[in-house]
Amino acid sequence: MNQKSFSPKARWDRFEPDKTGFNPDALNERIEVLAYFKHARIFPKSFTWNNKEYRIETITYNWQERLGQAQVNYFSVLSAGQMYQISFDNSTFRWQIDKLIQ
Amino acid sequence: MILHVDMDAFFASIEQVINPRLKGKPLIVGSRGNKMRTVVCAASYAAKALGIHSGMPSREAFSICPKLEFVAADQAKYIWTSEQIFQLLKGYDLPLNYASIDEFQLELIGYPDPVNLAKKIKEQIYVNFNITASVGIAKTWLLAKLASKLNKPDGLTVIDDSNFEQVLRDTPLDKLCGMGGKTGANFISAGLKSCWDLYLNLPGFFSTFDIAKAGNSQMAALLSANPEQGRRVSQSYDNSSKSGENTGKSNEAPKSISHSYTLPEVKINPQVIRAWIRLLSEMVASRLREQNLGSATVHLWLNGPEIGNFGAQKTHQLATNDGYEIYQRALKIMAKSRLQNPGIRAIGVTCSSLSKGTYQPLLKEEIRREELIQALDRINNRFGEGSIHPAITDLTR
Repeated sequence: MNQKSFSPKARWDRFEPDKTGFNPDALNERIEVLAYFKHARIFPKSFTWNNKEYRIETITYNWQERLGQAQVNYFSVLSAGQMYQISFDNSTFRWQIDKLIQ
Repeated sequence: MILHVDMDAFFASIEQVINPRLKGKPLIVGSRGNKMRTVVCAASYAAKALGIHSGMPSREAFSICPKLEFVAADQAKYIWTSEQIFQLLKGYDLPLNYASIDEFQLELIGYPDPVNLAKKIKEQIYVNFNITASVGIAKTWLLAKLASKLNKPDGLTVIDDSNFEQVLRDTPLDKLCGMGGKTGANFISAGLKSCWDLYLNLPGFFSTFDIAKAGNSQMAALLSANPEQGRRVSQSYDNSSKSGENTGKSNEAPKSISHSYTLPEVKINPQVIRAWIRLLSEMVASRLREQNLGSATVHLWLNGPEIGNFGAQKTHQLATNDGYEIYQRALKIMAKSRLQNPGIRAIGVTCSSLSKGTYQPLLKEEIRREELIQALDRINNRFGEGSIHPAITDLTR
């Protein structure tokens, strides 16, 4: 292999969330989630947000990000025709709703 | 044989999987959240069909298609997907190269059925991530990459002896990797229109992916066979080499390393401007250390409404690859602009006069600083770039 390799850790995007209006749908609110774990993977089934339960119909995608020691698992999910991004921080065991996906 | 995997409209495809409402629609992924003040990072195939492409200002993209869908880039999901695909390909136990975030190359040494392998890889990527990849198979890196681009999206192309001539005849020279910029323009002005013209003049280019190696051995023959064209091609090759452009030579040492950033709006706060200079200095320094280089010359470029395009550089006696030192040198250059708190829209830090390594620190404080930088690099290498960073750079977030 004589080609120069790519480093996926190189960061290339930066934005100013508060001042540029980035991600106006950001919620970052704590939620309760019913999930099951299978083959070292997490499958959220439903979540409770503002005392209302949302049944997850489809997980369209999931991905992970390492933030220092924490590993955050993100899920884009569909519930009653609305897409949501929720996440699970494995260092704090906290679930949160990140944003509504428009 | 080389098998080149090129993901189709990678970022845009992932966003379309995440949000099925966007499927089939013209979509751009912007590098920033403000959709009218950013550039197109990636465009879906529906957007590409309208003439929208990566690198285009988003304002221009929206003027082409006002109903364009927009998503702000989120690197975490692209990097994670890219790493997962890399892990998947690693499973084939073949020499593997991580060419870019959306390109991977496998070296097929004695592999009996490359086409079947390509089909299997494409299927596995689709099953796991619901996105498509185009695959090119050929004898060299360059041809395999070219092959992967010929039938996008979801293509599978083999360039072998049976179609080699036809493919090269049908492919304009500027479609070839490394021929998009000045090198390509030089070759085209020298009368080479298709890849086949290039092959006829420099056949070694396709086997070595190295103009220098190809050029030296074959230029003499070219000159004697067709003196006029040979002279022009030779001249264009010389110009490309002198301009230091990327010719595919992976071992060539860089002449300079730089990072620049255009702010979303004009900034007046000197703390924020300094924070950006520090961040760019750290990014440049990190790349210098990666390549074991030191730099004696720091160049700072600033752009703003009052200042216009301000650029100045200073060469110091001692080469450095310490981000803080580069930052301090850049601040001294900034002081030359002689304007009190000018509004700044774009900033760039460039390090040149590169040499291998830096001087050996002698003073106790310098040795401690060196050890600190090494420790920070180890942390960032383990947990990701920017995991530990100077506090001032938080002002850039």
